[in-house]
Formats: sequence, C-alpha cells, structure tokens
Amino acid sequence: MGRETGDLLPGTFEMLILKALSLGDMHGWGIAERIERLSGGVCAVQQGAVYPVLQRLLRRGWLVADWRATENHRRARYYRLTASGRRQLESEVEWWRRSIGGVDRVLRAAAQEA
Amino acid sequence: MSWLDALRQRAADLRGHSRDRDLDEEIAYHLELETARQISNGCDPVTARARAIARFGNSGQITDATRDERGAHTMEGGMQDLRWAARSLRKSPGFTALALFTLTLGIGATTVAFTVLDSVLLKPLPYREADRLVFVREQTAEQALLPPSYPNFVSWREAARSFSGVASAMSSGAETVWPSATGGDPLRVTIMGVSRRFFAILGVTPIIGREFTGDENIVGTVRAAMVSYEFWQTQMGGRMPLGSVRFDDTPISVVGVLPPNFRFINQADLYFPHEALPGTVRSAHNYLVVARLAPTATLQSARAEMTSLSKSLRAIYGNETQAAGADVRLLRDYLVADYRTMLAIVFGAAALVLLIACTNLTSALLARGRAREREIVVRAALGASRTRLVRQLVLESGLLVLCGAAMGTALAGGAIHVIGSVGANLIPRLNELGVDARVGAFVVSVAVATVLVVGVYPAFRLAHRDPGLALRDGRGTAMTVRAPVWRLLVGFEIALAVVLLIGSTLLIRTLHNILTADTGFDSQGIVTAAITPRRGDADRLEQIRSDLSTLPGVTGAAFTSRLPLSWGNMSAPVRRVTDPGDHDWPAFAGFRIISSDYFAVLRQPVVRGRAFTNADRTGAALVAVITPGIAEKLWPGQDPIGRSIGTNFLYDQWLTVVGVVAEASSWTMPRGSQNEIYVPLAQHPNNTEGQLVAVVRTAGDPAALIPAVRARLRQLYPGSAAQLGTMDERIERSAADRRFAMLALTAFGVIALLLAAVGIYGVIWYIVTTRTHDIGVRMALGATGGVVQAGILRDATLMALGGIAAGILGGVFATRYLQATLYGVSRLDPRTYVIGGGIALCTALLGAYIPARHSSRIDPMVAIRGE
Repeated sequence: MGRETGDLLPGTFEMLILKALSLGDMHGWGIAERIERLSGGVCAVQQGAVYPVLQRLLRRGWLVADWRATENHRRARYYRLTASGRRQLESEVEWWRRSIGGVDRVLRAAAQEA
Repeated sequence: MSWLDALRQRAADLRGHSRDRDLDEEIAYHLELETARQISNGCDPVTARARAIARFGNSGQITDATRDERGAHTMEGGMQDLRWAARSLRKSPGFTALALFTLTLGIGATTVAFTVLDSVLLKPLPYREADRLVFVREQTAEQALLPPSYPNFVSWREAARSFSGVASAMSSGAETVWPSATGGDPLRVTIMGVSRRFFAILGVTPIIGREFTGDENIVGTVRAAMVSYEFWQTQMGGRMPLGSVRFDDTPISVVGVLPPNFRFINQADLYFPHEALPGTVRSAHNYLVVARLAPTATLQSARAEMTSLSKSLRAIYGNETQAAGADVRLLRDYLVADYRTMLAIVFGAAALVLLIACTNLTSALLARGRAREREIVVRAALGASRTRLVRQLVLESGLLVLCGAAMGTALAGGAIHVIGSVGANLIPRLNELGVDARVGAFVVSVAVATVLVVGVYPAFRLAHRDPGLALRDGRGTAMTVRAPVWRLLVGFEIALAVVLLIGSTLLIRTLHNILTADTGFDSQGIVTAAITPRRGDADRLEQIRSDLSTLPGVTGAAFTSRLPLSWGNMSAPVRRVTDPGDHDWPAFAGFRIISSDYFAVLRQPVVRGRAFTNADRTGAALVAVITPGIAEKLWPGQDPIGRSIGTNFLYDQWLTVVGVVAEASSWTMPRGSQNEIYVPLAQHPNNTEGQLVAVVRTAGDPAALIPAVRARLRQLYPGSAAQLGTMDERIERSAADRRFAMLALTAFGVIALLLAAVGIYGVIWYIVTTRTHDIGVRMALGATGGVVQAGILRDATLMALGGIAAGILGGVFATRYLQATLYGVSRLDPRTYVIGGGIALCTALLGAYIPARHSSRIDPMVAIRGE
C-alpha cells in the first residue's frame, strides 16, 4: 500500500506550524494555506487538523493568540510565535536536519558499505 | 512566553464556555476563507463550499480534539470530559436509553433486595444492646420447641443466674376496648400482656409516662395499661393527661406511651400487666420469654444452665411440665430464622439480575465501541493521549451508571414503599423497612463495581488500538469483537434468566400446592368473626349461633375457641383411667372448645361415633371428640368410643369419648398439626380464655357476607366489636413467607427475561450491522430476504439453546437451596425445566426478530457500495 499525499512523519506537523508562524502572525486558515503553498502541495493535510495542534502549542507556551480585525473588517484569531516558540522551532529544525541527514545517508548506502 | 501572556492565557482558560464559541467562530471564518479561495480558483459557490468543508475534515472531531488539547490535565479538563461524555451519550439516544433501562432495573432490583435483607437480617433490633437479648423456649422430650408456661417462666426467673433480667410477654389476641372512660364507640384492639420490668429488660423507655410498677404487676386485678404510640395518636387523639380506657365497665388508667413503631414480635395496641392474671397450668405454652444475658454469661453457659434448670423442674413436677430442656438463642435469630433462607434466595436472585444487567451493558459498550472506533482513532491521531481517552470513556460509563443508579434508587424507593406497606404484617421487621445510609453505601458500591466491570475493559480495548490500522481499514474489522465472546455473553444471560425462571416456577407451584393442600376441612365460603364472650353467656351464645345461621345465604354457623390455622396453644397432658394421676401422662393434646354444628359447618368429617348435639350441655355427662392420633396413642387397635379421658386442662373431670374426627391443620399450612380434643362449649362456657370465633358458612362469596354478619352481631351482642375475615384469607396468610419469596423470584425472573431479551436484541442488531456488507453481497447473489432472516434467527436460536442448556444445568445445581422451601413439587421436576427453557427461548427469539427482520430488508446495492 503506497503512501498518500498528506501523510506526515510524526512530529513534523508541529514544526511546520511553528515555521509558518515564524514568517509572520497568522490565523488558522492562513497557517494551513501557507504550509500547503510552501510545500508545493505535498503537505496538504486536512486543514482542520491545525486547530488541535495550535491548541497544544498554545498550552506549551510556544504561541499566543489574540483576536484582531482583519483587512476586510472581520474578527479573526491570530497566532503569534513567542520567544520560547522560536527557540523550540530552532531546536526542532536542528533535530529534523540531523535525522533527515542520517536517514538520507542510510538510503544512499551502497552495498559494499554494509 | 512573557508572564503577561501567561496571565492572559490563564484568564482565558477560566472562560471555558466563551472559548467554545471562539472555536466555532474560528472554524466558521476558516471555512469562509477557504470557500473564497475555491471560488477564486473558478468553482461555483456551492461546490466551493463543499470543497472547503471536505478539505477541513470532520469538524466535530476536530472540535473535540481541540477541546481535548485545551483542557488536558486541568480541573477544567475534568469538566470538559464530563461535558464530552454527556454530549456523546446524547448523540446516541437509543444506546443511552437501553443502557439506562438495563441499569435502572439491575440496580433497582438489587437495592430492593438489599434493603429487605438489611432491615430483616442485618440491622440490629430496635432494643438496647440487642445482641445480648435471648429468646427462651421449652424443649420437649420429642425435641419440639414450644413457648413456656407462666409457672415455668416464674421458676426460671427465680433461679437463673445467667441473666441480668428475665421477662415475658403474651399475645392475648383481641379485646374490645373503649378508648375513653366516658362513652364513645368500642374498638377491637390487639393486646399484649407483659411481665414486671419487661420494657426495662428490653431497654425500651416509654416516651410518655412509665412502665408498670411491681405493685401493678402482681396477682389481682388489672389496674393499669400502656398504649402504643399509634393507638395514642389515632384513638386517644394524642391527649394529655393520658386518662383512662375502658374494658367493659371497668376504667383502667393509662400509665405510659411506647415509642413509635415499637413492637415485640407481634404488633399490639394495648399492653397490660399479665402477672395480674397469671397462667396456672405448668404444661401450657402461651408465654414468650425474653432475657438479657448477664455480663459474664455466654449463650452456651445460659443454654447449659437453663437445660439443667428445666431438668430439675421436671424432676419435681413430672409430666405436669412438658419441658425436658430449654432452648436459648439470640432473639434476632429466633425472629428471622424462618426467613433467612427466603431472603437469601431473594438476594441471590437480585444479584443474578444485576449480573445480567452488567453483561448487557458490557456487550452494548463493546458494540458501541466498534461503531465509534473511527472517531476514537481519529482523535488519538490528532494527539489525544490514551490516558485521556480512557478517562473520557470511563467517565462516559460512569455518567451512565450514575444516572442508572439514581433512577434505580428511585425505583427501589417506590418498590420498598409498596413492600413495606404490604409486607409489614407478613414478615418480621419488614415494618422497619427504609432507605438509609447503609442502603446508600450499598448502592454506591454496586455502582462503582458496575463501572469497573462494564466501563474499564471496553474503554481500554478502544483506546489501545493502533490508530494506523483502523484509519486505513475503513470498516474497522480489526476491532470487531470475536463472535465467540458475544455468544458467551448472551448465552450467559439466558442461562441466568433460565435459572431464575426455574426457581420462580417451582415456587409458584409450591404456593399453589400449599393453598390447595388438604387442610382437613373445607375452607371455602367461611366467614370468621372473633368476639369477646362474657362469662356465663352460654345460652345467649347458642341463640346467636342459631340466629347467625338464618342470615340469607348462610348454610350454618358455629363457635370455636380457636380457629384451625392459628397459634395460641391450649395444650395439656391427657391420660386414661388406668394411668396414675401424678406423673408420666401418656399423651399431650391441644384443646378446642366448640359449639354444636362445628364439624358440620367446617365439613371436618367425623370418622367414628358422633359429633356434639344440643343434648351435650351443662348437667349432662361430659363428652369429648378426639382425633385419630390420640385414639391410636391411648387405645391402640381398640375402639375409643365410650372410653374415659382425663386432662389437667379441665381438672378432676373425666370426659367420655363419643366420636373421632379427622385431623385438621391446627397451626400452619400445609399440615402443621397436633393431636386435638374437642369439648362442647355448652359444657365449658367459661374456659374459652376470653375469645370465641364464630364460623359462618355461606354458599356464596364469603367476603360479601361480612357486612351482614357484622351488623347482626352488633345487634345481637352489643358492646362487642367483632373482628371479621374469611378463612381463605387465613390460609393465604399462612403461606405468606413463601408468597413473598415467590413474588420476589417471579419479579426478578421477569426482569431477567426482559434484560436478556434486550441483550439478545442488541447483539443480533450488532451482528446484522457488522455483516451488512456480506449480507448485501449474498442478496446480490440471489439470496432472498427470507433466507437471510432465517439464517439470523437460526443463529439466535443456537445462542439461546446453548444458554438454556447451561441454565438448566445451573437450575439443577441452584435449586438445592430451594429444597426446604418447596412443597409438593420436586426440585428436578422436568415440566418446570421445560417451561423455563421454553419461555427463555421464546423471549430470545422475540428479541432477535426485529433485527433479523431488518436484515431481510437490506438493499444490496446500498450495502455493497456504502460503508
């Protein structure tokens, strides 16, 4: 059974949301849209899934949220990265780079190296 | 996060509700933006909206998951979970209703049974240090336990060292009393005689006034009375000072009022000092003796002392006393001895019902779990922790059980009220029935146990799934509970129901056998009327008798000092002329003083000689009619007619036996009998101990005759309030304990059946839903609805038959405990087992029918396409 588009490695969704918010404060839809767009459509998860994760990140203190007026005069809940959120993002990216590099080296291994 | 942010967040956390609305608003805005984007991509508005919703995913699950995140590990989280549980129960009203119904019946039945058990067996008697109170009886050489006589009671009281106090009471039946010294209507009241210090020894203090002094309770005349609280309230208007009541023309001052609900074995309205009119016959059996163990004494030491004491009395008085020994046991054990088995049966039945309810609930929760597994798995995938999921699922079961327990307790409260008012006079202590803290504690522990049994296992099962598995496999068959588990659960329920059915059928037949048992007389169409005769009224009584027999519809009337099937023993030793008069009399007999026509009215057959006639009167030769048992004992193999019989019930008088009459049930149904001697009322008008019962036979309905008899008695014998009833009522009463057990077992049996039907309904329904796809395929391949339905029903029948077989085996085992209670039917009676199994099978099929029918209407196309 092949993998479908949108399946993410465990733990990566939180990192993507933190990253999306590091580019600027945004509301829920905007975050989902930003991730989808930036990934070139590869990370097109169910959009609703961002909300539970946003809630979890809020609880850990990596984000804060407040209601602001939008450009078209509606109320929207904007999420903003906190300082600890930014540190968390850095450490996650660091972890991601390290593990992806490791996985990649394994995948590239030639038979004689085993 | 700055401290300010944290503070803001905390403040926001406290506004749980508004945050729910916030989330909804957030999602609404999200969908709006996504729709707008889809439109700008070229969709029409309707498609755009649909796509937006599809891309968002299941908003309900997401909302729940977000709430989970928000509230985890906080107090608010607990409330959140509770709200989640309530919401999820509301979302499936069918399941919730079924579960609540099951729980209400299960917990209600158990609570009723426990309350009865508790009030009758477990709660201490309402006397001070009741575990030191003992009940003392004479033990005859034949090991029979009988109430003692007054002279023996006095001898015991004087000599016994094991007791700090010995007291006695005697139930004297009913008397006519005027509640006021001046005028008013006479009342028929129940009275009880008490000895010196009776209430002090019980540890009961009158709420008003005092108990009898030693001076009031010595041989002489009755000068004082005490009344029950209820009598004081309803008949004396709660008056102060207490004043007097009147017997005949004698005013008697009321010196005390007992606490509400006081009773000693029997309920009484009025208490009098019985030592003013003491019994004189050492062989009589008419006093209830209660004693308080001395601080150093034990039950064993008291028993030993009383036995040796009775032996030495026997050495002095010989056969004048029937007590060869004495029986000493805790008062409580005496009171409930007959009911211990019954109550154990009832409680066992209730426990089975609860077990069935739990089984139902477990299988319902498992089935529901399967239907919800996608929801749970999605939430787990969205980050809800397993602990959280288990907590929520257990909380959901807990909420169910809590509601069920509340409804069950309410149901039990109603049932207890009914049982208390119906059963108060049938079973000792049932008047003390009530829901109290002990019952509350019981319900709570039952509820907690139920949650543990039914809630935790399915919750763990659900929460510990591998999310990936269930998500990918659309139908979630990985979660399906194995079919054998279902069969086991349902079979178990049916087996339990069958056991209960067998038990209740056996008891129904027992009761029927008892009520239709041969009593030795014809009880149908008999009205009884107890009156208080005045001394020397023999002629007047004969006049009343013949007058009563002329009432319309009446075929005959007679008097007796004691009805059949009633306790209260006038029993005495008897001898032949050839026996020495001082000791070792050869037989004992109960005495009944009857008018002429008595045997004819009761249709008690005279087997030899003759019955009494009007010629047997004062001045004529003294005569007696005896039962075959005495004839056999005194003159084995010979004709007793014409022989003389002597007794210390009627001193220094020899009676000539003129007839032998077939034995009738003296005390209880079916046949609690003793040898009896009947003597004519006309010859012994003053030996009736103040009580006489008219028996009136009618060809019609005896209950309809009661008003006419009452009116005629009032007119013929003014000043005597009569107590009326029918003989059939008396027979019903004598089977009261078995009736109670039968009703309880039948009620529980019906409840068990109902629950088992619900259980099988649920399981078959579940099977049909899980197989919808397969059924659809089969029908597409040509199977008709009828074939499918028959298949399902066959499946249900197999399940039921397995359960029935197990239930029959269980019945063979369980009915051992009913053995002593049964009468006229074997506990292994095959018909009973067939009936029990048959009813269970029909019920099971009825439960399976609806879902099976549903299966035959499945549309194959929908079933195959749809998930």
